[in-house]
Amino acid sequence: MKTALTAAILSSALAAPLAAQAEDYNIAFLAASSQNGFNQAIYAGIEEAAAKYDNVKTQIFDGEFSATAQFSQVEDIAAGGKFDAIIITPNDTVGIATALEEAIKAGVKVGTTLFPVGPELSNMEPQVPGLTVTVASDPVVGATAQADAVVDYCADKDPCKVVVLIGQLIYPFDNLRNDTYKKILGEHDNIEIVATGEGNYSPQTSMVAMQDILQAHPDIDVVLSNADQHLMGAEIAIEDAGLDMSELYTIGGGLNQIAVDAIKAGTWSGTLAQFPKSEGEAALDAVVKALNGETVPTWIDEYSLRQTPKIVTKEWLDANPDFEPEWQG
Amino acid sequence: MSDVQTPARRFSITPGDFAREYGVLTIIVILMVGLSLISDSFLTARNLLNIVNQSAPLAIIACALTLVIIGGGFDLSTGAIFGVASVAAGWIAVHVDPYTAIIAGPLIGFALGTLNGAIITGFGVHSFLVTLATSLVYRGIAILITGGALIPVRIAEFSWIGRGRIGMVNIAVVVLIIFMVIFMVLLNRTTFGRRVFAVGGNEEAAILSGIRTNLIKIVTFSLSGMAAGLAGVIAVSRISMASPQAGVGMEFEAIAAVILGGTSIMGGSGAIWRSVAGVLLMALIGNGFNILNVNPFFKDLTTGVIIVVAVALAASGRRSR
Repeated sequence: MKTALTAAILSSALAAPLAAQAEDYNIAFLAASSQNGFNQAIYAGIEEAAAKYDNVKTQIFDGEFSATAQFSQVEDIAAGGKFDAIIITPNDTVGIATALEEAIKAGVKVGTTLFPVGPELSNMEPQVPGLTVTVASDPVVGATAQADAVVDYCADKDPCKVVVLIGQLIYPFDNLRNDTYKKILGEHDNIEIVATGEGNYSPQTSMVAMQDILQAHPDIDVVLSNADQHLMGAEIAIEDAGLDMSELYTIGGGLNQIAVDAIKAGTWSGTLAQFPKSEGEAALDAVVKALNGETVPTWIDEYSLRQTPKIVTKEWLDANPDFEPEWQG
Repeated sequence: MSDVQTPARRFSITPGDFAREYGVLTIIVILMVGLSLISDSFLTARNLLNIVNQSAPLAIIACALTLVIIGGGFDLSTGAIFGVASVAAGWIAVHVDPYTAIIAGPLIGFALGTLNGAIITGFGVHSFLVTLATSLVYRGIAILITGGALIPVRIAEFSWIGRGRIGMVNIAVVVLIIFMVIFMVLLNRTTFGRRVFAVGGNEEAAILSGIRTNLIKIVTFSLSGMAAGLAGVIAVSRISMASPQAGVGMEFEAIAAVILGGTSIMGGSGAIWRSVAGVLLMALIGNGFNILNVNPFFKDLTTGVIIVVAVALAASGRRSR
């Protein structure tokens, strides 16, 4: 009896640290919008990474593409005490900073995906004190890669007429991308940006903008866009205008399944690579390690997560037939 | 084809009447002249047909919404019904049959619109509140159908309604014209239309006259839902892509177009053709900005100013009556 009691006490004592280690971590993913395919792919990565741990639970919150809604979610999580960490895809990269700062002070680990949090969109190091990790790439880097690809294509054309389809210029990240396009393309006398349309990440809006632009500029050479959704709409307008999309140089952004199929078919020229699922996985791993007391890098470059060129082309896809994009579109 | 008018007014149109009746047309003409002078690309058959084609889905919604507003109601769910019908039609086209998808969109819209009308009249709640709530429900259904992803629908048997042409004219434009004529006849040449005016003008008097006002209201919402469903099918067919986000904010564009056309937000007066003109006016502004490559920052500002001017013209017309 005495032996059994001793054994029970000993096993309890041994089990105590194990039980402490097995404490559940609740991690909130604050999606810019839970109804958006790109954000859902980030969450798929978060869930997949969480499944590798026995003690990590995740929950998605719908940011409704609203900075205010997301701000309130951060405040509620900080006040509620239920969550140990937040992974956020911010709607407003500047305004959300104060709410995240309060959450960090309340002991919540914070990771951000897609964009950094703070006034400088090109600064990947923490602009909010105590921010655990930023899993993102500098928008200027991607936009530069796209603009450079256009410069290469236009090398032998004079004039080389370019249409830019951007998301919305009221978004700081889109404005930065647009400024990058204008700066790089503006350095070449043979390149002329004949029109800039707003696609608002909608194929329908992009199609209308492209139809109108083609009325005034039916002799374009290039469509440069930051989003694959814009090229989907532009393609319809280009075909309706009797032009052959495959004879233009067309480049989008996002690398979704629809873009990959179009590039493989030779309809689109290329797209800027993005990896939402890998971003989610990397962010979750980083915050879990931080919760476990490990040191993690403050910035994980999106382009370090997969081995692809920044601009994915038909040549590259043909050479890598097993490549699978990380989101459907 | 416009509001019911007294015989005497047919022979003496006052400036106020003209402003209310033709204010939106006047602004359209001014804009067209201006754009023609500024850009060589504007006044071409192709561009003008493009504008009408681009406007077809919104104009179809605006036609039916005019009935709802004349009847004293308000429908904030048209954008969400457009979204549900879009993704449902896209899904059915891919997984079942393209022709079934084309029919299913308007039918789904009709069912959802009827549900709106039934809740509004059954519970006696204002249509503004009910359709605000149901728009959230319907948008949620659209997300559930797709999981938030786009559905590519590159099927010729489906895309003809959005992309097909008869000569130079898109089939969607033909559908719009037929739809518009049917609704104009329905509103101005039938007992149902007269009852819609009566319900929106004075509901108590309409009840005392023996009109089944609830039934009239339900029918206007059913037609509004059907129009949103049809518009959704055309839009998906045109871009070969169904998106659960489709139609976000469309309800406000449609309401703006109807009000631009001088239809009274208090109910009881309005005209289908003027709502379509309101849609075309907004499309003209967008077209002008894209053709002239004007900074998009000024687009909302310009649209807002023109809406205020048009609504003020219509209001001055009503005051002077």
